[in-house]
Amino acid sequence: MTLQNKIDAQQFVVCAEIAPPQSCDGDVIREKAKLVRDHVDAVNITDNQTAIVRLSSIASAKILLEEGIEPIMQMTCRDRNRLAMQSDLLGAAALGIRNVLCLTGDHQTIGDQPEARGVFDLDSVQLIGTVAAMNGGYLLSGSEMKKRPAFFIGAAANPFAEPFEMRLIKLHKKVSAGARFIQTQPVFDLEVFARWMQKVVGMGLHEKAAILAGVMPVRSAKTLQWMKEKVPGVRIHPDYIQRMVRATDPEGEGFAVAIEMIRVLKNIHGVRGIHIMPGPWEGVTPALAKEASLHVAQ
Amino acid sequence: MLSHESHHRLGNLSVKAGGSPVLYRSTKPKKRPITPAERRLSRVILFFEDAIKVPLFRCQHCGECILSSTAFICSQNCPKRMRNGPCGGTREDGTCEVYRDRKCVWQRIYYRSKLLHRISLLFTIHAPHDWGLERTSAWLNVLRKRTSAPTLFLRNDEKRIRDIIVDDAAEQN
Repeated sequence: MTLQNKIDAQQFVVCAEIAPPQSCDGDVIREKAKLVRDHVDAVNITDNQTAIVRLSSIASAKILLEEGIEPIMQMTCRDRNRLAMQSDLLGAAALGIRNVLCLTGDHQTIGDQPEARGVFDLDSVQLIGTVAAMNGGYLLSGSEMKKRPAFFIGAAANPFAEPFEMRLIKLHKKVSAGARFIQTQPVFDLEVFARWMQKVVGMGLHEKAAILAGVMPVRSAKTLQWMKEKVPGVRIHPDYIQRMVRATDPEGEGFAVAIEMIRVLKNIHGVRGIHIMPGPWEGVTPALAKEASLHVAQ
Repeated sequence: MLSHESHHRLGNLSVKAGGSPVLYRSTKPKKRPITPAERRLSRVILFFEDAIKVPLFRCQHCGECILSSTAFICSQNCPKRMRNGPCGGTREDGTCEVYRDRKCVWQRIYYRSKLLHRISLLFTIHAPHDWGLERTSAWLNVLRKRTSAPTLFLRNDEKRIRDIIVDDAAEQN
């Protein structure tokens, strides 16, 4: 069953994220893929995340397909203009890639080549619209395609950045433009997330797009502090940091917190899946995925 | 000219504010090309336009002015030139991910919209920017129908928001 079939059938889905290597070694992806293969429905492939050059997301997604895993190709607007993006999308469709996650992308100054020129020809909402138009058989130029792709369009949402209502408006725009599934930023503050989810349900957006809650297991309090200070758009509940600081076995504690988080998230009304973002701690994904797909109240 | 434009074109995709995307059957809307004579006229108008818009709004001369739907704060001051709302990188305290000393321009737009009761306009989906209009007069472009007219006055903001959201719910049933 594909991700789209599962979501259409109202089943609970579990996704995980894999970061391609900063080299041309495709085996790294194959190894990472083997680890999660039997535990998740689809695997996200990041597109030069945090503006650092990595093996391209299309190539990585193709490697995943060869390994028999369904990829979710992430696509950011930072590195390509509308021509390149449409052409890459056509290429991806020809390779058999079905799922696209449309993102604006981190600004190039966040990464390790801050002197680069950022493109930002389209933004995430416009990219979603572009993919939707292509699904309908048209390119942005207005010319009709002989064969239309059938992308399953995803988008990201950040429930944690202020102003709260503006975030909901942005989500509304993404869903209106054609996003069918939404992956949220990692949840480190369940209260805020629950409040956001309530609003999303109130607006009826959970019916039009499947909301997948992001979970990021963290190994130490230091990482958490670093995330809080350095990574844009992250909000962390103070109790969580305290708990990690006090823990004698931070790795075990981090795992325990992630498991607890998944248990709570699964039962929040409107959450249709879990999206695991392990960062460098990819070994933990199978255990978390197992927990996420257990005893799901349908 | 003052009415709120509820249909927007995204390539061939027509998106109703708050509705599902509807495919446009026709080919690309025909935009009149800018003639050299018009370019000269545009430069003259731009002189006066800039005299107002630059000091007041820090206008970036995108040529497709959306000031009226962003509560008269120029969204093009965003380092990513976002036209459809904030990116995901805004920090907890509302500062920009690129410039730590600056507030996210979209945060300012939101609070100003709230103050002026223009929140419903934030639901507008703006089509990809026409970079060919960069550094041309937005006023002239409105007159020549290259870009949509501004919404200067807006009433019943709350009702409009409700309509946009309820529209959605109705569509599902």
